Amino acid sequence: MRWRTILRVVGVLVFFLGLFMSLPLIVGLIYREDSVYPLFKSIGITVGFGGLLYLIGRSGGKTEYISQREGMAIVALGWIAVGFFGALPFYFSGEFGPFTDAFFESVSGFTTTGSSILSEIESVSKGLLFWRSIIQWFGGMGIIVLSLAILPFLGVGGMQLYKAEVPSPVPDKLKPRIRDTAMILWKVYAGFSAAQVVLLMIGGMDFYDALNHAFTTMPTGGFSTKNTSVAHYDSVYFDTVFIVFMIFAGINFSLHYQVLRGETLAFWKDSECRFFLGLVLVLTAVVSFDIFGTVYDTIGGAVRYGAFQIASILTTTGYATADYEQWPAMSQIILLICMFIGGSAGSTGGGMKCLRIMLCFKYCYKELFALIHPHAVTHVKIAGKSVPEDVMRSVLGFLALYMILYGLCAVLLAGIGVDLLTAFGAVAATIGNIGPGIGMVGPAENFAGIPTAGKWLLIWCMLLGRLEIYTVIILLVPEFWRK
Amino acid sequence: MKIIIVGAGEVGFHIASHLTRENKEVVVVDTDPTAVRRVSDSIDVQTILGSGSSPVVLEDAGIREAEILLAVTNRDETNLVACLMADTLSPTTKKLARIRDADYDGYHEIFRDNPPHIETVINPEVEVVKTIERLMAVPGAVDVGEFADGRVKLVGIRLGENNPLAGVRLHELGAKIKGARPLIASILREERLIIPTGNDRLKAGDLVYFISEEGQMLNTLKAFDKHGEPVKRVLIIGGGRIGTRLAQRLEEKSLSVKIIEKSADRCTELADILRKTVVLCGDGSDQDLLREENIQDVDLVVTLTSDEETNILASLLAKRLGARKSITKISKFSYFPLMLTIGIEQVVDPRLSAINTILQHIRRGKVLSAVSIKGEEAEVMEAVAMETSDLVGKPLKDISFPKGVLVTAILRDEHVIIPTGDSIVKPNDRIVIFAKREAIPKIERILAVKLEYF
Repeated sequence: MRWRTILRVVGVLVFFLGLFMSLPLIVGLIYREDSVYPLFKSIGITVGFGGLLYLIGRSGGKTEYISQREGMAIVALGWIAVGFFGALPFYFSGEFGPFTDAFFESVSGFTTTGSSILSEIESVSKGLLFWRSIIQWFGGMGIIVLSLAILPFLGVGGMQLYKAEVPSPVPDKLKPRIRDTAMILWKVYAGFSAAQVVLLMIGGMDFYDALNHAFTTMPTGGFSTKNTSVAHYDSVYFDTVFIVFMIFAGINFSLHYQVLRGETLAFWKDSECRFFLGLVLVLTAVVSFDIFGTVYDTIGGAVRYGAFQIASILTTTGYATADYEQWPAMSQIILLICMFIGGSAGSTGGGMKCLRIMLCFKYCYKELFALIHPHAVTHVKIAGKSVPEDVMRSVLGFLALYMILYGLCAVLLAGIGVDLLTAFGAVAATIGNIGPGIGMVGPAENFAGIPTAGKWLLIWCMLLGRLEIYTVIILLVPEFWRK
Repeated sequence: MKIIIVGAGEVGFHIASHLTRENKEVVVVDTDPTAVRRVSDSIDVQTILGSGSSPVVLEDAGIREAEILLAVTNRDETNLVACLMADTLSPTTKKLARIRDADYDGYHEIFRDNPPHIETVINPEVEVVKTIERLMAVPGAVDVGEFADGRVKLVGIRLGENNPLAGVRLHELGAKIKGARPLIASILREERLIIPTGNDRLKAGDLVYFISEEGQMLNTLKAFDKHGEPVKRVLIIGGGRIGTRLAQRLEEKSLSVKIIEKSADRCTELADILRKTVVLCGDGSDQDLLREENIQDVDLVVTLTSDEETNILASLLAKRLGARKSITKISKFSYFPLMLTIGIEQVVDPRLSAINTILQHIRRGKVLSAVSIKGEEAEVMEAVAMETSDLVGKPLKDISFPKGVLVTAILRDEHVIIPTGDSIVKPNDRIVIFAKREAIPKIERILAVKLEYF
C-alpha cells in the first residue's frame, strides 16, 4: 500500500468537491439566504484540506500503476472523505442538528439512498436543499466515474478505480478507453436529467423544484424538497413523469446508449432488462389488485399509487406518493422484497441487482435439473451465452454476503434499541440505498428518531450497499492492511 | 484513432500498453481467456474474447471504424485470415501482420498489392537479426537506430568508469572533440531519462544517446573512447530460427561464423542449410568446448537460445574466457534493468524489435521510421516536414514545441544538418525528432495537423 498515492487521489476528489460547493452557493446568493455563510466556510475548509492532502501525496513522486488493493482503498476512503466533507455545509448551517445527523444526510445523499433525518424539509434554506439534491446527482453515476470523465489526472490506474466503484458482475466498457466510457455514461445521465427538468416544468413545477427533483430521480436518490415528497403535488402527470424516469434510471445505462445510437430493440434484446420491466409490470398488477378496494376505491387510483410505489422502491429511488404502511400486509412484504432486488446492473439503482437475482434463479433451476438428470451437462446461460463458473461463484458469494451482513446489521440495530420492524426496515432501506423503510422509518416518517449509534451503523450500511459490499468490507479484513 | 490488435500475447500486450499511454483507442482480441483477463486487468483497452480471424468478432471490435489492424498472434495462419477478413469487411483499414515462417519471405510484396493487402509483414526474427547487424556495425553501442536509410544514426553508448569525457559539461564538449560536435539527445541515468542542457555534466555510468551522421560516427565514438575494431570472427550459440538467419546473413558478408547447437538433429539440418558456417554440436555453456574453439580469439559472441537464463550465463562465460564482445537475446522486460549490474551490455529482444517496427507504421502523418529508446520513455522518429506543417518556415527557436521534444537532425537532399536554434526547416525536408513519451501525441499532431483539415 502506497499511502501517498491514495492520499493524492483522495485529495483531488475532496478538492473538487469543494469547488462544486460553489453551485449551491450561487443558489444561496440568488435567494439572498444565510446559507451562504456555512457554504463559504465549507468551501474554504474542503478546498484547503483537499489541496493539502494532494500536496502531501504528491511529494511521494509519480505513480503510474495502481494495484487492485490500492484502487479499492482509494474508492472506499474517497467515498468516506467525500461524505464527511459534503456534510460540512449541513453541519455549519445548524439546520441539520448535530454532526452525526449532518454526516448521515450527506452519506445518504452521495450513496443515493435518500433517507433523511429532517422532519421539516420545506423550512430549510434553498441553498442547502440544493446541495442535498446535487450530491445525489454526483453520487448516482459515481464520483470516480465523474472524475474519470472530467478530470485528466486519474489516467493510468483508472481501470482499477472503475472496477472498485462499478462492481457489476460483468463490467462492460462501451468504448476502448475508460475515460470515453465514463464520458458517455455521464452524457446519457445528464441528458435524461435535462429532459426531466423540461417535462417537470411543462407540468407547472418551478425551475428550482424541477431541478432538485431531476437531480434526485436519475440517480435513484429520492430526496425531495417537499415534506410529503412527490405526494405534495398530487398530480397524475407528475406521477407519470416520475415513474417513467425512475424506470429509465433502473435500466442499464449501456442499453440507453445503444438505443440512442439507433438500436431501438436494445431494451427487448437484453434479458436482464426484460426481467426488470416484467417485474415492474407483474408486481404493479399484484399490488394494485391487493390495494384496490381495501385502500383505494377506483382501479385508476390503485394502479397509479401501486405503480409509483413499485417503481420507486424497485429502482431504489424512494419517493413516496402514498404511505404504504397503511396498505395490506402482502403489498408491504412485496415492497420489502423489492428493496432487496433493486435495479439492473450498470444502472444507478441499488439493491442486489436484477442480474444477480436472475443468475441465482437460473442456478437453482440448474441444480434441480441435475437432480432429475444426474448425468446432464448444463450451463447457466444469459442471452444464449454460458456464464463462466467464476462469475457465477462471485455472484452467489455476493448474495450470501449481502444477506449475512443484512442479518448482522439488523441484529446490531435492534441491540442499539430499535424495535423489530424498524430494525428490519431501516437496514433494508439503507443497505439497498432506497430511502424510506418500514416501522418508524416509513415513508411518512424519517430517521431522526434512530439513536446516534444506530445512525452510524446505517451510514456504514449505505456505503456497503452503494459500493456493492466488497470495496467497503475489505477495509475490515486484517489481511488487507498487511504489508 | 482506433487500433485493433489481434493476439494478446507478449507482442500484442506490449504494443497495446505502449499505445494506450499515448491515448489511442485500442481493442484487443484473443481466444485465450487468461490472456484477455491479463490485458483488461492491467491496461485501459477494450477486450474481446474470440478469434481474430472471425468476421463476427472483427465486426464486434469495430473493424469498420478502425484505422489499423495488427495481427500479431503466434500463428501465421490466424494472422493471415484476420487480415483477409479485415480486408473484405473494411478495405480502408491499414493491416499489419506478424508472419514468422521463412517460406513467406518472398511473398511480402505480393501480399501487399493483392488481397489481403497487408501493408507490412513483420517478422520478429528478421527484425532481431537486423538489430544485431546494426549493433555489430557500431562498436561499443548499446542501442542503435537508423534514419534516412542509415545515413543518420541514433547511438546509445554507456560511459565507463574511466571515460575521459565523464564529468565534462556538454557545452565544453566541442573543445574536447575534433570535428563536428555530436548532438546529445538524451541521457539515461539510473533509469531516469534526462534531456540535457549545455550545463549538464556527463557522468560515468550514463547511457548517452547521440545523433550522428554516418561519416562522423566513428570519430565521435573515438571521442567517447569507444574504439572500433572490425568484427571478423563470430560465434553464435543457439541454432534456432534467429541463429540460422543471422548465420546466413553473416555468411554473405564473408565473416568467419561458428554456430553451437545442442540438438544433434538440428545440427544436421543446420549443416544442410548453411554453406560455410562451422556447425558444432554441444552445449554453449561448456567451457571445454568454448576453449577448444578458441573463444579468446572470437570478436563477438551472440547467444540466441530459447532459454534466456542460458543466454545470460553463456554470454558471461564467453566474455570471461576472452571473447571481446557479446550480444544477448533476452525476452523478459523485467530483466533489462539487471543487465548492467551483471555486466551484460548489449541486449536484443525479438519482441522489442518487432514493436519498434510496428510503431513506425502506426505513427500519423508522414512518419518514416520510429525507434523507441530503452525503457520506452522516449521515441525518436523521422518524418517529412509537410508544407502545411507548423514546423516549416520559421527558425526552430521560434516554434513552440511541447516539453521534452528536440529536433535532432534535418535532412535536405543529400545533406544532413545538425540544427541550431536558427535553423529553418523547409518543405519536404526530412526531420529527425526526439520526443519524450508524454509529448508524442502532440508531436504527431504538429506533424499531421493541417492534413486533417482537408
